[in-house]
Amino acid sequence: MTKDAQALVFVVDDDEAVRSSTKLLLKSVGLPAVTFASAQEFLDNYDPQQPGCVVLDVRMPLMSGLELQQLLNMRGAIIPVIFITGHGDIPMAVEAMQHGAFDFLQKPFRDQDLLDRVQKALEKDRVNRAQLREKARIRERRDSLTPREREILELMTRGKPNKVMAADLGVSQRTVEIHRARVMEKMGATSLAQLVRMVMDLDQSRDTGSSFRELAR
Amino acid sequence: MNTPAKPAPPVESPTPEELLALLQRLTHVSRLATMGEMAAGIAHELNQPLTAIASYAQACDWLLARGSTDTAEIRDALQQITAQGLRAGEIIRRLRNLVRTPDTARVETDVNELIEELKGLALTDARAHNVRLTLELAPALPRIVVNRVEIQQVVLNLVRNAVEALESVPPERRDVVLRSEPGPDSNVEVAVIDSGPGVDPAIVDRLFSPFVTTKATGAGLGLAISRSIVEAHKGTLRYRPAGAGGACFVLRLPHAQGGA
Repeated sequence: MTKDAQALVFVVDDDEAVRSSTKLLLKSVGLPAVTFASAQEFLDNYDPQQPGCVVLDVRMPLMSGLELQQLLNMRGAIIPVIFITGHGDIPMAVEAMQHGAFDFLQKPFRDQDLLDRVQKALEKDRVNRAQLREKARIRERRDSLTPREREILELMTRGKPNKVMAADLGVSQRTVEIHRARVMEKMGATSLAQLVRMVMDLDQSRDTGSSFRELAR
Repeated sequence: MNTPAKPAPPVESPTPEELLALLQRLTHVSRLATMGEMAAGIAHELNQPLTAIASYAQACDWLLARGSTDTAEIRDALQQITAQGLRAGEIIRRLRNLVRTPDTARVETDVNELIEELKGLALTDARAHNVRLTLELAPALPRIVVNRVEIQQVVLNLVRNAVEALESVPPERRDVVLRSEPGPDSNVEVAVIDSGPGVDPAIVDRLFSPFVTTKATGAGLGLAISRSIVEAHKGTLRYRPAGAGGACFVLRLPHAQGGA
């Protein structure tokens, strides 16, 4: 994944005029947008690696915006979704928010409201992706450890002193010290505190494992 | 209602055949029963060109503010604004055609006859919501000249509103009265009175304005359309609080000689 991939705004709306006017509006403030006439068309072209956000019409024939959101959720997508709703669609908007939508807007919307939300969604996406990348990096490093080094890492993060580790593993303290230094070096950690934080972050990311896999593939 | 202790008068259920015949006769009216839904659809449709117009206009503004010299792009957006404005106008024209029929469709008729015809639909609707609907029809009223379907649409819409207004009321106190009576100057009045909470005083002034609604899913066009129909008949449609706290809508129509 290229770190500097240009973020895109994906506009999904079945109405041609709404689609192209939204695209032009985004373009006029320097935000590149790509439009899709249906939820299916978006899904067919969906690239999890591509940073950005989705501006999604809630009410579309065939697959609705809510259904698309569900499919994206099932795929563990992290891309923020801003829903566009019409008059009387508030119950749908509430449902979308409950399912993790980033925000929603009622049609017709004030341009500034849309632009503000899009900017915030892109920022959120950027932070999310940076965090996931960082986790992927740490995981890669941990995977590069030898079995013995992993044992040492495990004991280190539990705060065991070298003497105890040496006794537990049946090796000399000197050997433990050498392994310790290798673990710190391979993990790229400059302090024990930093190392512990890295491992904790990794353990937490098990909850968002699918999102992680999506990026780390 | 003023007679809460009195049991609801027995109403004859229309037979399925009668209902079918009624529905066929009133194809337009059955459409009216869903006037609110239709209006919501139209509101949704109008939102599309309006959204596009707002976005195109703002995009032009941004482009010009940034000193863009891409006049082709700006002109294209301006042409789109024109096209979307026309599209919105077309939707409104369709809406108008929906409520306006030529005067030639007007015939001299008896208001009670109109009410008798829509009674079946109104009763079915009321019963489905556990509402007692009572008809109080004054005899020997002056005749009126109306587009029958349109006026039936208005009356049914008022009954539907009344029925829906009773949702928050316990079933045993859900009453709607549909009354015909002589009005001043030989006019004819049709009143729809419910035992609901009445109209929120905060919106009484705007009650007949388009897009004013108290319903979660309503578009707020039913009363606006109804009033334009009635005014096209040189009549009036007014609201006043009912005695017991409910709502009362009065439709007044000129008698056959006094109207158009």
